[in-house]
Amino acid sequence: MLEILEDNWLLFLIGQYPHGPVGGLAMTLFLAVAGLSLSFPVAIALALARLSPRRWLRGPATAVVYVVRGLPLIMFIFWTYFALPLLTGHAVGGVETLLFALVIYEASYLSEIIRAGIEGLPKGQAEAAKALGLGYFPTTFKVILPQVLHNMMPSLVSQFVSTIKETSLGYVISANEVTFAASQVNNQLMTQPFEVYGLLALTYFTLCFTLTSAARWLERRLAAERGGLGAQPA
Amino acid sequence: MIRFEAVEKWFGQHQVLAGVTGEVKRGEVVTLLGSSGSGKSTLIRTVTRLEGIQGGQVLFEGVDVAGRGVDINRLRQRVGFVFQAFNLFPHLSALGNITLGLERLRKMRKAAARERAMTELDRVGLADKADALPSRLSGGQRQRVAIARALAMDPDVMLFDEPTSALDPEMVNEVLRVMRTLAQNGMTMVVVTHEIGFAREVADTVWFLDKGQIVESGPPAEVLDDPRHDRLRSFLSRAR
Repeated sequence: MLEILEDNWLLFLIGQYPHGPVGGLAMTLFLAVAGLSLSFPVAIALALARLSPRRWLRGPATAVVYVVRGLPLIMFIFWTYFALPLLTGHAVGGVETLLFALVIYEASYLSEIIRAGIEGLPKGQAEAAKALGLGYFPTTFKVILPQVLHNMMPSLVSQFVSTIKETSLGYVISANEVTFAASQVNNQLMTQPFEVYGLLALTYFTLCFTLTSAARWLERRLAAERGGLGAQPA
Repeated sequence: MIRFEAVEKWFGQHQVLAGVTGEVKRGEVVTLLGSSGSGKSTLIRTVTRLEGIQGGQVLFEGVDVAGRGVDINRLRQRVGFVFQAFNLFPHLSALGNITLGLERLRKMRKAAARERAMTELDRVGLADKADALPSRLSGGQRQRVAIARALAMDPDVMLFDEPTSALDPEMVNEVLRVMRTLAQNGMTMVVVTHEIGFAREVADTVWFLDKGQIVESGPPAEVLDDPRHDRLRSFLSRAR
């Protein structure tokens, strides 16, 4: 196992770079970070639309969220894989395809977290903003969302962990990420799948476990903040 | 300045306001008394449409607040509202709570807003807490910041919804003191409260609400010392 690592660690880490495209763990992380960051504004828009009193906003947003949550990610990957080239008229690479599918998928899940966060805030917050004379947008972006985003930090980290794992599906469309790298190594060696995929598992686990622990730590800190001095009567 | 005309409101089947008629004049301090559920909080919340109504009218400076073409956010800037639960924005400092409205609504520059907010904090005796988050303030201090936040908008009238009910007894006075000073400086105020002493000392007029109606109103000496209705009499005896 150590030998495999010695020979292939660079491939695991950054793919064929600089002789080819960046790949491996670097690409996995890039995909997860980019996927989550790009889906964030979409998620906020979806969440606000879902809470809107206007039906023409709420209806479609709710439909999108329900449809996406009712389908497996790999379906979206296939759909984007076949649809994007048709729609754009260009060949679209695996990484771009995966990123696109991830953004749609993550946005739906994130929007539910944000929506729950907004609904969980004490009513008095929106009311106090209203009473001051603040309109919808300053109330939302200066009063409500800053609090919601602060409160949802732990969920955000959890979602990041899921996203990291989800990027592994990029393998099926040859997006150059760490699972793809591992399968390349496996194809070369042919005889040591358990060792190769064991290394892959260890890589994912280390990364995700670290992040999950960070999320737990954040959660405890937030709980202390709220339960202690942060507590205000509702 | 504020006129209630036969105001009616239902929560489902339950009628909370059953035809309230009354007027608050400029410079007047009106105190609303009544047991819980009498509709007094709901009544002041109708002034800036925090609650809608189903019958009658609420007029602010002669204009129906529910009328077409009323810019409700503009109206709300002219009416300060202080909540029982303070409702400070917990992610903003005491100062930030006050500058938000000044910067967003009064379009003041940061430095000017800061200066104005400091004046208001000083007025409620909390200039030294400007940078503290609400979570670092006591209940009484939070409520004083909330009052400063409302005052910073230069309101024509201040509405108080049980401003001391969520406070520990030892903090009630610091808030009442601020309100007393405000009244002495001529601010028009409508105060929903259980503090009979405050009503007696500060109010020009006391309204006693029962089952969604004003059943007795007049100067405190009259209403509080010579109650005509049984409900008020028993309310006062319980409050003592």
